[in-house]
Amino acid sequence: MTGTCAQRRGGTRLPAPVDARRPLPTLILRLLVTSIAVLAGLAAAQEVELESRVFEIARQLRCPVCVSESVADSSAQLAQQMRELIQQQLEEGRSEAQIFSYFTNRYGDWIMLEPPRRGIHLVVWLLPVVAALLGVGVVTVLVRRWLASAREHIEVDQADLDRVRADLESGAS
Amino acid sequence: MIDLQLGVLGTAAVYLALALAAYGAIAGLVGARSRDARLLTSARLSAVAGFVVATVAVIVMQTALLTDDFSVAYVAQHSRIASPTWVKIVTMWAALEGSILLWAWLLTGYTALLALVAPLSQLRPYALAVMQLVRVFFFLVVSVLANPFEVLPNPPLDGPGPNELLQNHWMMAVHPVLMYLGFVGLTVPFAYAIAALITRRPGSEWMAQTRRWTLTGWGFLSAAIIAGGWWSYEVLGWGGYWAWDPVENVSLMPWLTATAFIHSVQVQERRRMLKPWNALLIIITFSLSILGTFLTRSGVVSSVHAFGSGPVGPAFLAFFLIVALGSFTLLAVRWDDVRDRSELDSVVSREGAFLGVNILFLALAFAVLLGTLFPLIVEALSGDRVTVGGPFFDQVTLPLWLLVLLLMGIGPLLPWRKADTQSLRRNLAWLLGGLAVGTVVAFALGVRKIYPALTVGLAVYNVVSLGLLLSGALVPRMRLANRPAVAVLRSYAFENRRRVGSMIVHFGVVVIAVGVAFSSGYRVDEQIRLDFGASAPFEEYTLTAVDRFMERTPGRISAGAVVEVTKDGRLIATLRPRLNVFGEGRPVPTPAVVYTPWHDVYLNLNSTVGSTTTFVVLRAVKSPLVTWIWVGGFIVVVGTAFSLGSNSRRLATVTQASEATGKAVRA
Amino acid sequence: MTRIVLIVVGVALLGGLFAFGLLRGEPNRDIPSAIVGKQAPNFVLPLYERFHPDFGESLELAAQVGRPMVVNFWASWCAPCYEEAPVLQSYWERFQDTDVLFVGIQTQDRQQYDAGRAFMDQFGLSFPNGMDDASAVSVEWGLFGVPETYFINRDGTVEYRLVGPVTAAVLDEQLAAILR
Repeated sequence: MTGTCAQRRGGTRLPAPVDARRPLPTLILRLLVTSIAVLAGLAAAQEVELESRVFEIARQLRCPVCVSESVADSSAQLAQQMRELIQQQLEEGRSEAQIFSYFTNRYGDWIMLEPPRRGIHLVVWLLPVVAALLGVGVVTVLVRRWLASAREHIEVDQADLDRVRADLESGAS
Repeated sequence: MIDLQLGVLGTAAVYLALALAAYGAIAGLVGARSRDARLLTSARLSAVAGFVVATVAVIVMQTALLTDDFSVAYVAQHSRIASPTWVKIVTMWAALEGSILLWAWLLTGYTALLALVAPLSQLRPYALAVMQLVRVFFFLVVSVLANPFEVLPNPPLDGPGPNELLQNHWMMAVHPVLMYLGFVGLTVPFAYAIAALITRRPGSEWMAQTRRWTLTGWGFLSAAIIAGGWWSYEVLGWGGYWAWDPVENVSLMPWLTATAFIHSVQVQERRRMLKPWNALLIIITFSLSILGTFLTRSGVVSSVHAFGSGPVGPAFLAFFLIVALGSFTLLAVRWDDVRDRSELDSVVSREGAFLGVNILFLALAFAVLLGTLFPLIVEALSGDRVTVGGPFFDQVTLPLWLLVLLLMGIGPLLPWRKADTQSLRRNLAWLLGGLAVGTVVAFALGVRKIYPALTVGLAVYNVVSLGLLLSGALVPRMRLANRPAVAVLRSYAFENRRRVGSMIVHFGVVVIAVGVAFSSGYRVDEQIRLDFGASAPFEEYTLTAVDRFMERTPGRISAGAVVEVTKDGRLIATLRPRLNVFGEGRPVPTPAVVYTPWHDVYLNLNSTVGSTTTFVVLRAVKSPLVTWIWVGGFIVVVGTAFSLGSNSRRLATVTQASEATGKAVRA
Repeated sequence: MTRIVLIVVGVALLGGLFAFGLLRGEPNRDIPSAIVGKQAPNFVLPLYERFHPDFGESLELAAQVGRPMVVNFWASWCAPCYEEAPVLQSYWERFQDTDVLFVGIQTQDRQQYDAGRAFMDQFGLSFPNGMDDASAVSVEWGLFGVPETYFINRDGTVEYRLVGPVTAAVLDEQLAAILR
């Protein structure tokens, strides 16, 4: 294993744990994780894209006469006619936002398959992120405590270490 | 025998099962406290007797269904004379009361099995008692609140038959049974955890004893979720397999926390850490499964799957509250016994990876729970109506899924305690190389969307990881044993079932991830109107509506269109999307699918087909790589089954030597 | 101790939420209408032939502003519609001497004119009915099921929307409101 402790700087402490001495792999890992998360956010925004813009928009609208299906997925007559309506409006040059507000003006926010990003609904968008960050925070605190306790544990053997070194140096076979 | 009314027999059976369960719970608890061996044995025997009685109840129900005995209320409400035999069999769990009977029966089976095979320990009596108490609840519901065996004084001549969607596909016979086996299987580790808390022995023994039960339950639950997805795909007609419907979410949440649990317990086994965390995880898992049952059967959330509301709702709510309150309070009271003096040498280690798994899966479960309950919360607070549907869940969970894939690759490569620089750097280089190569190749091949390209990259990354794991284990063995690679692999696999089993499962997950990424990212939907005899292009295919057809089978009338799918003039398949009518029910559009390894062509009828219709409106969907989701699910199940077996010990000594050498070579 | 208190509070909150869920009934009903209080969206409804002599070939909502209106959406396959149709017809007959106008709109019926005629024959409906062919009216009014009934004030604003079969009690109350 590693060399005898007497040769280390700072005396008889055993080598400090991995983190402090090898920042690079941890740094790479952290970078990787962050970039995946960012890319995934972008990907999620892009994911809704489909070949057909009608279905793309319909996929975000709730079919009013069905039990939790989207206008894109439902084969109900109203859903089919809503798709035709969306197509008409797209042909007229309306934007996606305009089409969505057309429906929310008539049905309320309920017609959108995702909650609006305002008011009380921000809770459902932000709380998972907050909870995840909180989780990471809690774990960081715990990890620090556990790392410290591991180090502590090693240092407790100081007395034994001295004794062993003394035995070695005295030439015990 | 013929004189005895089936309803009376069945009712007697469920009441007797209830009594046996109550006795088993009380005898078990009293016997454990007073260490009375006879009481304990009688408690165990009552579990077995309870299973016999519950089986009698199930046999009675099946007999009533198969002989069209409409004096039994459940049969009168849900069965039909004209249904084929297999439909009658599955009608037992097609509706609320019967499904609870099924759950209760499976739970009784597990309890009896546990009573017979569980090793003798301090924990066993308490664990059995907990299972008996859960049985008490379910049989209480089945006997008192929602008795399917109620006798009707004036039985009708025929019944309406089960819900049309439920007789449309053979999967009905499989999916609910798998689901309940999963939930019930996870009751066992919960029972042991509670027992460990009660007896103040929260060490590792309860996990070692329940490892196989937990893994079995998890395996069944995974299979059930995949099967459910496939069933949706084949039956519901919208070309998708997962809608983030509340009932689907409710089966996913316990699966997420159970996955965190099966990983996290390994830290407890090896390093005696995370004990309170694990207890918490399994309590949450069980609570979520009961919560799920409540949400599905109470009408609180609207869903395609819901069993509808009834008197059962408040009972399940009460049970959920009791379970949650009781187990969390027990954990809080015993907290000081459970918490351990944990030590972590490094975050970059297997322990660290498992911590990451915990965070990710708990975050996922939380996001899904919040999304599912949010409409209810908003309505309670402000009366507003809002929908939380697919797009929300996709956006919020996507980053987490990708992080899971990332962790899945690096985790198994990290050693316990701390990773040493050299091997870590080398492994990372390989992995990141694989990720980069995969993503670039995908991009080069035309995959321009971020999510599918990234998933391909992560798939290659994970395959590289598996390769590194296998080579690290096999190469030293091969050097020592001087045998062909296949033989070495085989003996390695059978001597390290857990490791290799988990490799197989992880590989299955990767396959599923790729399937999901491409089938959702590159899906094409079109609505096509075809006159009979005419053709229309669809992607690279040509669809030709040839003619109408009508079929009549016992219990079902189908009307649909015969559509030929051709490509470059060559006939690929002849599909028959149809509308099925069962008895007096409403027509159920049933899709027809061409499965190929690359993509599926999926047709569903969007118009009615009668004797005079001259055209048909089809919904055509092309989904790439969908089949791989089902294949991946199968791989996951195989891997789980493999890891359940016992390791063969033939080459034990050689293995130990090669392990040591292997470590030296790697360092 | 604090832990236990937190647990109890948490479980109680969940219990309260779910109790609320159980008590409030079906989640898809009673979704608040987005057009109550606003001007009723205009439509031009082509009527069934039997109404042409009395009401013209089509009925335009905007032309009727000034009269209170009861607009009822129905379909021939909808069971509760069969419950409410006789109620509507009897109220239409009773309120003939006022200027309230009852309008029936057949929707979500896959252009089944024959089924519509059979429905009207069964209940002898004499107030104007027409087919909402492309569901344009249904979408404009934010319909999410049948039957639904809207009560329109004289100034053209929507007073009230009922989801489900209309009953005598509701008609009494709402007709009083819009006839003012």
